[in-house]
Amino acid sequence: MSVPPKKVPLGTIAGARSGDKGGDANLGVWVRTDAQYEWLRGELTVERLKELLPEAGEVDRYELPNLKALNFVLHGLLGDGVASSTRFDPQAKALGEWLRSRHVDIPEALL
Amino acid sequence: MIRIGNASGFYGDRFSAVREMLAGGGLDVLTGDYLAELTMLILGRDRMKDANLGYARTFLRQLEENLADALARGVKIVSNAGGLNPEGLAEAVDELGLGAKVAYVTGDDLRERFPEALTANAYLGAWGIAECLNAGADVVVTGRVTDASLVVGPAAAHFGWGREDWDALAGATVAGHVLECGTQATGGNYSFFTEIDATRPGFPIAEIEADGSSVITKHDGTGGAVTVDTVTAQLLYEIGAPAYLGPDVVSHFDTIRLDPHARGVRISGVKGSPPPDTLKVCLNTLGGFRNSTTFVLTGLDVEAKANLVRHQLEQAIGEDGLTWTLARTEHADADTEEAASALLHVTVKTADPKRAKAFSRAGVELALGSYPGFHVTAPPGDGTPFGVYRAAYVPRASVRHQAVLPDGEVVEV
Repeated sequence: MSVPPKKVPLGTIAGARSGDKGGDANLGVWVRTDAQYEWLRGELTVERLKELLPEAGEVDRYELPNLKALNFVLHGLLGDGVASSTRFDPQAKALGEWLRSRHVDIPEALL
Repeated sequence: MIRIGNASGFYGDRFSAVREMLAGGGLDVLTGDYLAELTMLILGRDRMKDANLGYARTFLRQLEENLADALARGVKIVSNAGGLNPEGLAEAVDELGLGAKVAYVTGDDLRERFPEALTANAYLGAWGIAECLNAGADVVVTGRVTDASLVVGPAAAHFGWGREDWDALAGATVAGHVLECGTQATGGNYSFFTEIDATRPGFPIAEIEADGSSVITKHDGTGGAVTVDTVTAQLLYEIGAPAYLGPDVVSHFDTIRLDPHARGVRISGVKGSPPPDTLKVCLNTLGGFRNSTTFVLTGLDVEAKANLVRHQLEQAIGEDGLTWTLARTEHADADTEEAASALLHVTVKTADPKRAKAFSRAGVELALGSYPGFHVTAPPGDGTPFGVYRAAYVPRASVRHQAVLPDGEVVEV
Protein backbone atom coordinates (compact mmCIF):
# COMPACT_ATOMS: atom_id res chain seq x y z
CA MET A 1 0.00 0.00 0.00
CA SER A 2 1.30 3.41 -0.85
CA VAL A 3 -0.85 5.21 1.72
CA PRO A 4 1.13 5.64 4.96
CA PRO A 5 -0.05 3.61 7.95
CA LYS A 6 -1.32 5.18 11.15
CA LYS A 7 -0.82 3.84 14.69
CA VAL A 8 -4.29 3.27 16.13
CA PRO A 9 -6.02 0.63 18.27
CA LEU A 10 -6.72 -2.57 16.32
CA GLY A 11 -10.32 -2.25 17.51
CA THR A 12 -10.77 0.81 15.33
CA ILE A 13 -11.51 -1.62 12.51
CA ALA A 14 -11.67 -5.07 14.17
CA GLY A 15 -14.24 -6.68 16.42
CA ALA A 16 -13.36 -9.61 18.67
CA ARG A 17 -14.92 -12.24 20.90
CA SER A 18 -13.07 -14.52 23.26
CA GLY A 19 -13.89 -17.32 25.66
CA ASP A 20 -12.73 -20.51 27.33
CA LYS A 21 -12.54 -24.17 26.37
CA GLY A 22 -11.17 -25.96 29.40
CA GLY A 23 -7.65 -24.64 29.92
CA ASP A 24 -7.45 -23.07 26.45
CA ALA A 25 -8.78 -19.69 25.41
CA ASN A 26 -10.13 -18.87 21.98
CA LEU A 27 -10.00 -15.44 20.45
CA GLY A 28 -11.89 -14.64 17.26
CA VAL A 29 -11.13 -11.39 15.42
CA TRP A 30 -13.10 -10.08 12.49
CA VAL A 31 -13.23 -7.06 10.21
CA ARG A 32 -15.90 -5.70 7.91
CA THR A 33 -14.44 -5.26 4.44
CA ASP A 34 -12.47 -7.51 2.12
CA ALA A 35 -9.59 -5.02 2.01
CA GLN A 36 -9.44 -4.98 5.81
CA TYR A 37 -9.43 -8.78 5.85
CA GLU A 38 -6.53 -8.98 3.40
CA TRP A 39 -4.58 -6.63 5.68
CA LEU A 40 -5.61 -8.47 8.87
CA ARG A 41 -4.59 -11.84 7.49
CA GLY A 42 -1.14 -10.52 6.62
CA GLU A 43 -0.65 -8.50 9.79
CA LEU A 44 -2.00 -10.66 12.58
CA THR A 45 0.29 -13.66 12.39
CA VAL A 46 0.80 -15.92 15.39
CA GLU A 47 4.10 -14.11 16.07
CA ARG A 48 2.42 -10.71 15.91
CA LEU A 49 -0.38 -11.87 18.20
CA LYS A 50 2.20 -12.98 20.75
CA GLU A 51 3.87 -9.57 20.55
CA LEU A 52 0.55 -7.86 21.18
CA LEU A 53 -0.51 -10.32 23.91
CA PRO A 54 2.76 -11.31 25.59
CA GLU A 55 0.89 -13.54 28.06
CA ALA A 56 0.09 -15.97 25.23
CA GLY A 57 2.00 -19.26 25.03
CA GLU A 58 1.41 -21.83 22.30
CA VAL A 59 -1.02 -20.42 19.74
CA ASP A 60 -2.86 -21.92 16.74
CA ARG A 61 -4.35 -19.67 14.07
CA TYR A 62 -7.22 -20.51 11.71
CA GLU A 63 -8.49 -18.46 8.77
CA LEU A 64 -12.20 -17.97 8.07
CA PRO A 65 -12.24 -15.76 4.96
CA ASN A 66 -15.99 -16.31 4.57
CA LEU A 67 -16.49 -14.49 7.89
CA LYS A 68 -13.57 -12.06 7.32
CA ALA A 69 -12.24 -13.53 10.53
CA LEU A 70 -9.24 -15.17 12.14
CA ASN A 71 -9.61 -17.53 15.08
CA PHE A 72 -6.78 -18.06 17.54
CA VAL A 73 -6.58 -20.82 20.13
CA LEU A 74 -4.30 -19.88 23.03
CA HIS A 75 -3.29 -23.17 24.58
CA GLY A 76 -2.98 -23.47 28.34
CA LEU A 77 -3.69 -19.81 29.05
CA LEU A 78 -6.31 -20.72 31.66
CA GLY A 79 -4.40 -23.50 33.44
CA ASP A 80 -6.74 -26.28 34.57
CA GLY A 81 -9.89 -24.52 33.38
CA VAL A 82 -12.14 -21.78 34.66
CA ALA A 83 -12.96 -23.18 38.10
CA SER A 84 -9.36 -23.53 39.15
CA SER A 85 -7.64 -20.79 37.16
CA THR A 86 -5.89 -18.13 39.19
CA ARG A 87 -5.62 -15.95 36.12
CA PHE A 88 -7.12 -12.48 36.02
CA ASP A 89 -10.23 -13.01 33.82
CA PRO A 90 -10.25 -16.82 34.23
CA GLN A 91 -12.75 -17.34 31.36
CA ALA A 92 -10.85 -15.12 28.90
CA LYS A 93 -13.98 -13.05 28.36
CA ALA A 94 -12.06 -9.81 27.85
CA LEU A 95 -9.03 -11.18 26.02
CA GLY A 96 -10.49 -9.91 22.74
CA GLU A 97 -11.10 -6.43 24.09
CA TRP A 98 -7.50 -6.34 25.34
CA LEU A 99 -6.29 -7.20 21.84
CA ARG A 100 -8.55 -4.54 20.30
CA SER A 101 -6.95 -1.93 22.54
CA ARG A 102 -3.40 -2.66 21.30
CA HIS A 103 -1.99 -0.08 18.91
CA VAL A 104 -0.93 -1.25 15.46
CA ASP A 105 -0.03 0.41 12.16
CA ILE A 106 -3.15 0.36 10.00
CA PRO A 107 -3.11 1.82 6.46
CA GLU A 108 -5.15 5.02 6.41
CA ALA A 109 -7.20 3.72 3.48
CA LEU A 110 -8.63 1.01 5.71
CA LEU A 111 -9.74 3.32 8.52
CA MET B 1 -39.94 -23.56 8.25
CA ILE B 2 -39.59 -24.10 11.99
CA ARG B 3 -39.17 -21.16 14.36
CA ILE B 4 -36.93 -21.96 17.30
CA GLY B 5 -36.17 -19.44 20.03
CA ASN B 6 -33.67 -19.38 22.88
CA ALA B 7 -34.39 -18.04 26.36
CA SER B 8 -31.22 -18.89 28.25
CA GLY B 9 -27.50 -18.92 27.54
CA PHE B 10 -26.37 -20.05 30.99
CA TYR B 11 -27.61 -20.99 34.46
CA GLY B 12 -28.37 -17.53 35.82
CA ASP B 13 -29.45 -15.80 32.61
CA ARG B 14 -32.41 -13.36 32.53
CA PHE B 15 -35.25 -15.05 34.45
CA SER B 16 -38.02 -13.25 32.56
CA ALA B 17 -36.71 -14.38 29.16
CA VAL B 18 -39.03 -17.41 29.00
CA ARG B 19 -42.06 -15.17 29.52
CA GLU B 20 -40.73 -12.55 27.10
CA MET B 21 -40.06 -15.11 24.38
CA LEU B 22 -43.51 -16.72 24.70
CA ALA B 23 -45.38 -13.43 24.76
CA GLY B 24 -43.23 -11.60 22.22
CA GLY B 25 -44.34 -13.39 19.05
CA GLY B 26 -44.81 -16.71 17.33
CA LEU B 27 -42.55 -19.69 18.05
CA ASP B 28 -42.68 -23.44 17.48
CA VAL B 29 -40.03 -24.37 20.02
CA LEU B 30 -38.38 -22.54 22.90
CA THR B 31 -34.96 -23.79 23.97
CA GLY B 32 -32.75 -22.97 26.91
CA ASP B 33 -29.09 -23.75 27.60
CA TYR B 34 -28.22 -24.02 31.28
CA LEU B 35 -24.99 -26.01 31.22
CA ALA B 36 -21.41 -24.86 31.00
CA GLU B 37 -18.28 -26.72 32.09
CA LEU B 38 -18.37 -24.76 35.33
CA THR B 39 -22.10 -25.36 35.80
CA MET B 40 -21.60 -29.12 35.78
CA LEU B 41 -19.28 -28.67 38.75
CA ILE B 42 -21.81 -26.50 40.59
CA LEU B 43 -24.55 -29.08 39.97
CA GLY B 44 -22.18 -31.84 41.05
CA ARG B 45 -21.74 -30.14 44.38
CA ASP B 46 -25.54 -29.68 44.67
CA ARG B 47 -25.95 -33.39 44.07
CA MET B 48 -23.40 -34.21 46.77
CA LYS B 49 -25.65 -32.39 49.26
CA ASP B 50 -28.95 -33.84 47.98
CA ALA B 51 -29.20 -36.68 45.45
CA ASN B 52 -32.60 -35.34 44.29
CA LEU B 53 -30.97 -32.17 43.01
CA GLY B 54 -28.40 -31.76 40.27
CA TYR B 55 -30.66 -29.96 37.81
CA ALA B 56 -31.08 -26.25 37.06
CA ARG B 57 -33.75 -25.18 39.52
CA THR B 58 -34.29 -21.83 37.84
CA PHE B 59 -35.75 -23.62 34.82
CA LEU B 60 -38.38 -25.31 37.02
CA ARG B 61 -39.37 -21.93 38.45
CA GLN B 62 -39.60 -20.51 34.94
CA LEU B 63 -41.93 -23.37 33.96
CA GLU B 64 -44.05 -22.89 37.07
CA GLU B 65 -44.69 -19.40 35.80
CA ASN B 66 -44.94 -20.10 32.06
CA LEU B 67 -45.70 -23.72 31.20
CA ALA B 68 -49.47 -23.19 31.01
CA ASP B 69 -48.88 -20.34 28.58
CA ALA B 70 -46.50 -22.44 26.46
CA LEU B 71 -49.05 -25.29 26.29
CA ALA B 72 -51.83 -22.89 25.34
CA ARG B 73 -49.70 -21.45 22.55
CA GLY B 74 -48.50 -24.87 21.39
CA VAL B 75 -44.83 -23.98 21.95
CA LYS B 76 -42.61 -26.97 22.74
CA ILE B 77 -39.95 -26.53 25.42
CA VAL B 78 -36.52 -28.15 24.95
CA SER B 79 -33.80 -27.63 27.53
CA ASN B 80 -30.64 -29.20 28.93
CA ALA B 81 -31.63 -27.97 32.39
CA GLY B 82 -31.75 -31.60 33.54
CA GLY B 83 -28.03 -31.29 34.16
CA LEU B 84 -26.96 -34.31 36.22
CA ASN B 85 -30.53 -35.42 36.91
CA PRO B 86 -32.85 -35.13 33.89
CA GLU B 87 -35.19 -37.79 35.31
CA GLY B 88 -35.58 -35.80 38.51
CA LEU B 89 -36.34 -32.64 36.58
CA ALA B 90 -38.85 -34.46 34.35
CA GLU B 91 -40.64 -35.70 37.47
CA ALA B 92 -40.66 -32.20 38.94
CA VAL B 93 -42.16 -30.81 35.71
CA ASP B 94 -44.82 -33.57 35.83
CA GLU B 95 -45.63 -32.57 39.39
CA LEU B 96 -46.51 -29.07 38.24
CA GLY B 97 -49.78 -30.83 37.36
CA LEU B 98 -50.47 -29.05 34.08
CA GLY B 99 -50.84 -32.24 32.08
CA ALA B 100 -47.85 -31.54 29.87
CA LYS B 101 -46.35 -34.53 28.08
CA VAL B 102 -42.84 -34.65 29.47
CA ALA B 103 -39.95 -36.66 28.04
CA TYR B 104 -36.28 -36.80 28.88
CA VAL B 105 -32.93 -37.91 27.50
CA THR B 106 -30.37 -39.91 29.47
CA GLY B 107 -27.14 -41.82 29.00
CA ASP B 108 -24.66 -38.97 29.23
CA ASP B 109 -23.71 -39.70 32.84
CA LEU B 110 -20.52 -41.82 32.79
CA ARG B 111 -19.47 -41.62 36.42
CA GLU B 112 -19.23 -45.42 36.62
CA ARG B 113 -16.48 -45.29 34.01
CA PHE B 114 -14.69 -42.36 35.65
CA PRO B 115 -15.10 -43.07 39.36
CA GLU B 116 -12.50 -40.47 40.36
CA ALA B 117 -14.60 -37.67 38.85
CA LEU B 118 -17.27 -35.64 40.59
CA THR B 119 -19.06 -35.32 37.25
CA ALA B 120 -18.45 -37.21 34.00
CA ASN B 121 -20.84 -36.46 31.15
CA ALA B 122 -20.62 -37.34 27.49
CA TYR B 123 -21.79 -34.70 25.04
CA LEU B 124 -24.80 -36.40 23.43
CA GLY B 125 -26.32 -35.23 20.18
CA ALA B 126 -29.74 -34.31 18.85
CA TRP B 127 -31.39 -37.65 18.10
CA GLY B 128 -32.71 -38.35 21.59
CA ILE B 129 -34.45 -34.99 21.59
CA ALA B 130 -35.87 -35.75 18.13
CA GLU B 131 -37.27 -39.09 19.40
CA CYS B 132 -39.00 -37.34 22.30
CA LEU B 133 -40.57 -34.71 20.03
CA ASN B 134 -41.66 -37.31 17.47
CA ALA B 135 -43.48 -39.06 20.33
CA GLY B 136 -45.46 -35.89 20.97
CA ALA B 137 -43.61 -34.47 23.96
CA ASP B 138 -44.49 -30.92 25.01
CA VAL B 139 -41.41 -30.62 27.21
CA VAL B 140 -38.04 -32.33 26.64
CA VAL B 141 -35.34 -32.12 29.29
CA THR B 142 -31.86 -33.49 28.87
CA GLY B 143 -28.58 -33.70 30.65
CA ARG B 144 -25.33 -33.01 28.84
CA VAL B 145 -26.16 -32.71 25.17
CA THR B 146 -24.20 -30.30 22.99
CA ASP B 147 -25.69 -26.85 23.17
CA ALA B 148 -26.49 -26.85 19.46
CA SER B 149 -28.44 -30.13 19.81
CA LEU B 150 -31.25 -28.20 21.47
CA VAL B 151 -31.86 -26.60 18.07
CA VAL B 152 -30.79 -29.47 15.80
CA GLY B 153 -33.12 -31.98 17.54
CA PRO B 154 -36.35 -30.03 16.97
CA ALA B 155 -35.36 -29.18 13.37
CA ALA B 156 -34.45 -32.81 12.61
CA ALA B 157 -37.77 -34.02 14.07
CA HIS B 158 -39.77 -31.38 12.23
CA PHE B 159 -38.24 -32.05 8.80
CA GLY B 160 -37.70 -35.78 9.23
CA TRP B 161 -33.97 -35.48 8.52
CA GLY B 162 -31.93 -38.66 8.32
CA ARG B 163 -28.75 -39.28 10.22
CA GLU B 164 -26.68 -38.72 7.10
CA ASP B 165 -28.25 -35.46 6.00
CA TRP B 166 -24.90 -33.88 6.80
CA ASP B 167 -25.43 -30.46 5.24
CA ALA B 168 -28.84 -29.93 6.82
CA LEU B 169 -27.54 -31.09 10.20
CA ALA B 170 -24.52 -28.81 9.87
CA GLY B 171 -26.68 -25.84 8.93
CA ALA B 172 -28.89 -26.37 11.97
CA THR B 173 -25.79 -26.86 14.15
CA VAL B 174 -24.52 -23.46 13.07
CA ALA B 175 -27.93 -21.91 13.85
CA GLY B 176 -27.78 -23.66 17.22
CA HIS B 177 -24.29 -22.32 17.88
CA VAL B 178 -25.57 -18.80 17.18
CA LEU B 179 -28.51 -19.29 19.58
CA GLU B 180 -26.81 -21.12 22.43
CA CYS B 181 -25.47 -18.06 24.22
CA GLY B 182 -28.70 -16.08 24.13
CA THR B 183 -28.17 -12.38 23.71
CA GLN B 184 -24.53 -12.74 22.71
CA ALA B 185 -26.01 -13.14 19.20
CA THR B 186 -28.17 -10.02 19.37
CA GLY B 187 -25.74 -7.32 20.44
CA GLY B 188 -24.79 -8.45 23.94
CA ASN B 189 -21.05 -8.32 24.73
CA TYR B 190 -20.53 -6.90 21.26
CA SER B 191 -17.34 -5.04 20.27
CA PHE B 192 -19.23 -2.39 18.28
CA PHE B 193 -21.88 -1.88 20.98
CA THR B 194 -21.69 1.89 20.59
CA GLU B 195 -23.30 1.52 17.15
CA ILE B 196 -26.51 -0.10 18.47
CA ASP B 197 -28.85 0.16 21.45
CA ALA B 198 -27.35 -2.58 23.61
CA THR B 199 -29.32 -1.77 26.78
CA ARG B 200 -31.59 -4.82 26.78
CA PRO B 201 -31.02 -7.09 23.80
CA GLY B 202 -33.84 -9.45 22.84
CA PHE B 203 -33.19 -13.20 22.82
CA PRO B 204 -32.43 -14.82 19.43
CA ILE B 205 -34.63 -16.89 17.14
CA ALA B 206 -33.63 -19.17 14.25
CA GLU B 207 -36.11 -19.73 11.44
CA ILE B 208 -34.79 -22.96 9.97
CA GLU B 209 -35.65 -24.30 6.52
CA ALA B 210 -35.79 -27.91 5.32
CA ASP B 211 -32.25 -27.67 3.89
CA GLY B 212 -30.80 -26.50 7.23
CA SER B 213 -30.35 -22.90 6.16
CA SER B 214 -31.81 -20.32 8.50
CA VAL B 215 -32.64 -16.72 9.26
CA ILE B 216 -31.47 -15.45 12.63
CA THR B 217 -33.86 -12.87 14.04
CA LYS B 218 -35.53 -11.72 17.26
CA HIS B 219 -39.01 -10.65 18.30
CA ASP B 220 -40.21 -7.27 17.04
CA GLY B 221 -39.82 -4.45 19.51
CA THR B 222 -36.96 -6.03 21.46
CA GLY B 223 -33.60 -4.32 21.96
CA GLY B 224 -30.19 -5.06 20.55
CA ALA B 225 -29.64 -5.93 16.90
CA VAL B 226 -29.21 -8.92 14.61
CA THR B 227 -26.64 -8.00 11.98
CA VAL B 228 -23.92 -9.82 10.07
CA ASP B 229 -21.51 -8.44 12.67
CA THR B 230 -23.44 -9.53 15.78
CA VAL B 231 -23.87 -13.01 14.30
CA THR B 232 -20.21 -13.20 13.25
CA ALA B 233 -19.20 -12.34 16.80
CA GLN B 234 -21.20 -15.25 18.21
CA LEU B 235 -20.00 -17.67 15.52
CA LEU B 236 -16.45 -17.00 16.72
CA TYR B 237 -17.27 -17.77 20.36
CA GLU B 238 -15.64 -20.86 21.85
CA ILE B 239 -14.54 -22.46 18.61
CA GLY B 240 -11.29 -24.09 17.50
CA ALA B 241 -10.48 -25.35 14.02
CA PRO B 242 -12.99 -24.54 11.24
CA ALA B 243 -14.11 -28.19 11.22
CA TYR B 244 -16.38 -27.90 14.26
CA LEU B 245 -16.77 -31.36 15.76
CA GLY B 246 -20.11 -32.49 17.12
CA PRO B 247 -21.67 -35.82 18.03
CA ASP B 248 -23.98 -35.86 14.98
CA VAL B 249 -22.01 -34.01 12.31
CA VAL B 250 -18.84 -32.06 11.66
CA SER B 251 -19.88 -28.53 10.66
CA HIS B 252 -17.45 -26.66 8.44
CA PHE B 253 -17.40 -23.08 9.67
CA ASP B 254 -15.34 -22.00 6.64
CA THR B 255 -18.37 -22.73 4.44
CA ILE B 256 -20.85 -20.56 6.35
CA ARG B 257 -22.35 -17.80 4.27
CA LEU B 258 -23.94 -14.81 6.03
CA ASP B 259 -26.17 -12.29 4.27
CA PRO B 260 -28.25 -9.42 5.58
CA HIS B 261 -31.97 -10.23 5.59
CA ALA B 262 -35.05 -8.07 6.16
CA ARG B 263 -35.61 -9.71 9.55
CA GLY B 264 -31.95 -10.21 10.51
CA VAL B 265 -29.29 -12.43 8.98
CA ARG B 266 -29.55 -15.38 6.64
CA ILE B 267 -27.19 -18.34 7.16
CA SER B 268 -26.64 -20.67 4.20
CA GLY B 269 -24.13 -22.84 2.41
CA VAL B 270 -22.96 -24.80 5.45
CA LYS B 271 -21.31 -28.10 4.59
CA GLY B 272 -21.39 -31.06 6.94
CA SER B 273 -19.45 -34.32 7.09
CA PRO B 274 -19.66 -37.46 9.24
CA PRO B 275 -18.82 -37.08 12.95
CA PRO B 276 -15.91 -38.79 14.71
CA ASP B 277 -16.44 -42.25 16.23
CA THR B 278 -15.84 -40.89 19.71
CA LEU B 279 -17.87 -38.68 22.01
CA LYS B 280 -16.28 -35.99 24.12
CA VAL B 281 -16.71 -36.32 27.88
CA CYS B 282 -16.68 -33.37 30.29
CA LEU B 283 -14.92 -34.44 33.50
CA ASN B 284 -14.83 -32.37 36.66
CA THR B 285 -12.79 -33.51 39.62
CA LEU B 286 -12.39 -31.75 42.93
CA GLY B 287 -8.97 -30.13 42.76
CA GLY B 288 -8.72 -28.95 46.34
CA PHE B 289 -9.45 -25.68 48.08
CA ARG B 290 -8.75 -22.12 47.10
CA ASN B 291 -8.75 -18.79 48.82
CA SER B 292 -7.72 -15.35 47.70
CA THR B 293 -7.39 -11.74 48.69
CA THR B 294 -6.33 -8.45 47.14
CA PHE B 295 -4.00 -6.05 48.92
CA VAL B 296 -4.29 -2.38 47.98
CA LEU B 297 -0.90 -0.67 47.62
CA THR B 298 -1.26 3.11 47.49
CA GLY B 299 1.25 5.76 46.53
CA LEU B 300 5.02 5.36 46.82
CA ASP B 301 7.24 2.26 46.87
CA VAL B 302 4.69 -0.07 45.28
CA GLU B 303 7.24 -2.79 44.48
CA ALA B 304 8.74 -2.68 47.95
CA LYS B 305 5.31 -2.77 49.57
CA ALA B 306 4.39 -5.80 47.49
CA ASN B 307 7.66 -7.52 48.40
CA LEU B 308 7.13 -6.89 52.11
CA VAL B 309 3.62 -8.31 52.32
CA ARG B 310 4.55 -11.23 50.11
CA HIS B 311 7.52 -12.07 52.30
CA GLN B 312 5.35 -11.79 55.42
CA LEU B 313 2.60 -14.06 54.13
CA GLU B 314 5.05 -16.64 52.81
CA GLN B 315 6.87 -16.66 56.14
CA ALA B 316 3.56 -17.21 57.95
CA ILE B 317 2.17 -20.10 55.88
CA GLY B 318 4.89 -21.10 53.39
CA GLU B 319 5.14 -20.49 49.65
CA ASP B 320 3.38 -23.65 48.56
CA GLY B 321 0.43 -23.12 46.20
CA LEU B 322 0.52 -19.32 46.30
CA THR B 323 0.11 -17.33 43.08
CA TRP B 324 0.83 -13.60 43.13
CA THR B 325 0.03 -10.94 40.55
CA LEU B 326 0.75 -7.26 40.94
CA ALA B 327 -1.48 -5.04 38.82
CA ARG B 328 0.30 -1.73 38.39
CA THR B 329 -2.86 0.31 38.19
CA GLU B 330 -1.37 3.24 40.13
CA HIS B 331 -0.62 6.61 38.59
CA ALA B 332 2.10 8.93 39.94
CA ASP B 333 0.95 12.15 41.58
CA ALA B 334 -2.72 11.11 41.16
CA ASP B 335 -5.61 13.35 42.17
CA THR B 336 -7.79 10.50 43.49
CA GLU B 337 -6.76 7.88 46.05
CA GLU B 338 -8.04 5.10 43.82
CA ALA B 339 -5.96 6.27 40.87
CA ALA B 340 -2.91 6.30 43.16
CA SER B 341 -3.35 2.60 44.04
CA ALA B 342 -2.00 -0.68 42.71
CA LEU B 343 -3.58 -4.09 43.43
CA LEU B 344 -1.69 -7.14 44.61
CA HIS B 345 -3.74 -10.32 44.13
CA VAL B 346 -2.81 -13.53 45.87
CA THR B 347 -4.50 -16.91 45.56
CA VAL B 348 -3.75 -20.10 47.43
CA LYS B 349 -4.65 -23.49 46.00
CA THR B 350 -4.17 -26.43 48.31
CA ALA B 351 -5.37 -29.96 48.96
CA ASP B 352 -5.73 -29.08 52.65
CA PRO B 353 -8.80 -27.06 53.71
CA LYS B 354 -6.96 -26.10 56.90
CA ARG B 355 -4.29 -24.40 54.84
CA ALA B 356 -6.96 -22.42 52.96
CA LYS B 357 -8.22 -21.19 56.36
CA ALA B 358 -4.72 -20.49 57.66
CA PHE B 359 -4.24 -18.23 54.65
CA SER B 360 -7.13 -16.04 55.87
CA ARG B 361 -5.84 -15.86 59.41
CA ALA B 362 -2.34 -14.97 58.28
CA GLY B 363 -3.67 -12.26 55.97
CA VAL B 364 -5.80 -10.70 58.71
CA GLU B 365 -3.01 -10.82 61.29
CA LEU B 366 -0.91 -8.53 59.11
CA ALA B 367 -3.40 -5.69 59.40
CA LEU B 368 -1.38 -3.56 61.85
CA GLY B 369 2.08 -4.84 61.03
CA SER B 370 2.69 -4.59 57.31
CA TYR B 371 3.24 -1.91 54.66
CA PRO B 372 2.00 1.67 55.22
CA GLY B 373 -1.61 2.09 54.10
CA PHE B 374 -2.36 -1.66 54.45
CA HIS B 375 -5.88 -2.61 53.48
CA VAL B 376 -7.60 -5.23 51.37
CA THR B 377 -10.53 -4.95 48.92
CA ALA B 378 -12.42 -7.64 50.84
CA PRO B 379 -11.25 -9.80 53.74
CA PRO B 380 -10.41 -13.39 52.73
CA GLY B 381 -13.11 -15.97 53.54
CA ASP B 382 -12.72 -19.57 54.69
CA GLY B 383 -11.77 -20.80 51.24
CA THR B 384 -13.88 -22.80 48.79
CA PRO B 385 -13.42 -26.10 46.96
CA PHE B 386 -12.38 -25.79 43.33
CA GLY B 387 -12.74 -28.13 40.39
CA VAL B 388 -10.39 -29.22 37.69
CA TYR B 389 -11.88 -29.70 34.25
CA ARG B 390 -10.59 -32.07 31.64
CA ALA B 391 -11.96 -33.67 28.50
CA ALA B 392 -11.88 -37.37 27.73
CA TYR B 393 -13.11 -39.34 24.70
CA VAL B 394 -15.09 -42.58 24.62
CA PRO B 395 -16.30 -44.72 21.71
CA ARG B 396 -19.73 -43.56 20.60
CA ALA B 397 -21.02 -47.12 20.53
CA SER B 398 -20.19 -47.55 24.22
CA VAL B 399 -22.62 -44.84 25.32
CA ARG B 400 -26.29 -45.76 25.89
CA HIS B 401 -28.11 -42.70 24.62
CA GLN B 402 -31.77 -43.18 25.58
CA ALA B 403 -34.98 -41.23 25.14
CA VAL B 404 -37.64 -41.77 27.80
CA LEU B 405 -40.92 -40.88 26.11
CA PRO B 406 -43.96 -39.26 27.76
CA ASP B 407 -45.64 -42.66 28.20
CA GLY B 408 -42.53 -44.07 29.88
CA GLU B 409 -41.32 -46.09 26.93
CA VAL B 410 -37.53 -46.17 26.69
CA VAL B 411 -36.08 -45.85 23.19
CA GLU B 412 -32.43 -46.62 22.41
CA VAL B 413 -31.16 -43.78 20.26
